[in-house]
Amino acid sequence: MTMSRFACLLAACLGLGATAPASARSLDDILKAGELRVGVNPTLPPRALFNEKNEIDGFEPELAKAVADKLGVKLTLVQVGSPDRIPFVVADKVDVVMGAMSRTSERAKVIDFTAPIHSENYGIVTTDAKPFAKLADLNSESVTLIQVRGTTAIPFIQKNLPKAKLVLLDNYNDRDRALAQGRGDASFDGIDAVAYRLKIFPAIKWKVVATPEYGVSYSSFGVAKGNYSLRDWLNIALYELHTAGTVEAIWEKWFLKPMDTKVPVTPYF
Amino acid sequence: MAYTLQYGQVTPYLGYLAGGAWLALQLAAIAFVIGWAIGLVCASVLEYGPRPLRWSVKAYVVFFLNTPLLVQIFFLYFALPDWGIVLGSYQAVLLGMAINAGAYLTEIQRAGFRSIRKAEVEAAETLGFSRVQIICYVVLPHIGKVLFPPLSNQYIILTMTTSIAAIFGVEELTGRTYNINAQTFRSFEIFSIAALYYIALTLVASVALYAVGRYFFRIKGRVF
Repeated sequence: MTMSRFACLLAACLGLGATAPASARSLDDILKAGELRVGVNPTLPPRALFNEKNEIDGFEPELAKAVADKLGVKLTLVQVGSPDRIPFVVADKVDVVMGAMSRTSERAKVIDFTAPIHSENYGIVTTDAKPFAKLADLNSESVTLIQVRGTTAIPFIQKNLPKAKLVLLDNYNDRDRALAQGRGDASFDGIDAVAYRLKIFPAIKWKVVATPEYGVSYSSFGVAKGNYSLRDWLNIALYELHTAGTVEAIWEKWFLKPMDTKVPVTPYF
Repeated sequence: MAYTLQYGQVTPYLGYLAGGAWLALQLAAIAFVIGWAIGLVCASVLEYGPRPLRWSVKAYVVFFLNTPLLVQIFFLYFALPDWGIVLGSYQAVLLGMAINAGAYLTEIQRAGFRSIRKAEVEAAETLGFSRVQIICYVVLPHIGKVLFPPLSNQYIILTMTTSIAAIFGVEELTGRTYNINAQTFRSFEIFSIAALYYIALTLVASVALYAVGRYFFRIKGRVF
């Protein structure tokens, strides 16, 4: 094969600009199809998980069902992972993406977010043998933090806790196991699901320290950039679900406690 | 509402990705060398060793050829601590890749030993070659020529395999790609650049291996 032919083949393989990604479905398209496709990540219990019948269940699927019922269409849940969430939206495989979609200004350059579904509260997950009481205690060369690759806490850690050693693992199950095995000293991350997650290590004396100094972030529905018809409808549906207490009720059912920070509901968006 | 490709958003990370590519190259090279040494010893045992040793080597090869590398590394990283052996991310991945490659390279090198015709060795003995001379002038050049292409292929495969390391906390090319993707959400752009880095890694290796094969073993292969 000559070099030029190889280069052509390479460009074709990578599709660099060669194919325009599919367009997302508008609200009208979804109503016409009679189906809302929502991406959820079942590796993030209790947000989403596989139940004993091997079906996807959890906070997000139940909320997605409430949204689909409001729209009067069938709900189809699509399993997504953290890295491929956005390609799923872009390639028109899902209409709405969940999977703990924390809003950040960087991410909002790529997809559009609705108003918040729930708050995300952060803290230090460690064992009672460790003395950590605040975030600043983690900024030391003797501290190894075990985090999940691709989560929102990581840029913060790199910027504000630069002395700490970082080990990035693939998912929260691996993170929990590594902490239980003493591979690191702590993890700074969301603590909403901790009560649910750490039950499987009864022998470990866990300690969870809330860190209000970090602030609160919010999770939303994600839709394709510019899909305003769907985003605006979702905002109104969310307002109704919040004011009716539906979101909070589903939250408490799965997270085993009330939301640490209530979402300030406003009729405007 | 179509997605617009924005490569400008990810260009600041090119250097960071190059660091990951360098780590992937290191992992592949070290795992290959260790795996090659394991393979050479095990292949010799299979061909010339005593029976109990042969069986234990066979068990090792069968086990590692028939289980996924991911499972093997998972065992080294997450199961061994229950027996009090705590390996770091890099050590567990390197050890897993080396042992796994060792099983493959055992079979490859065993085939190399088997490819030597008895008549050639006998001819050398007739000519009065010493054992060392037979190995240097008859066996090694022959084995080298036969083994070089499959060994090269194995090295290229190993380079791709390094991406598994990301799952266990090693910040190589795939791991860093995931990190940037999580921050920017520019998945198409960042993964296509990562693909180019991998192609560069394997192309450079292919050209180098082609040169080595041509110079040392007079193998007339093609890179493209």
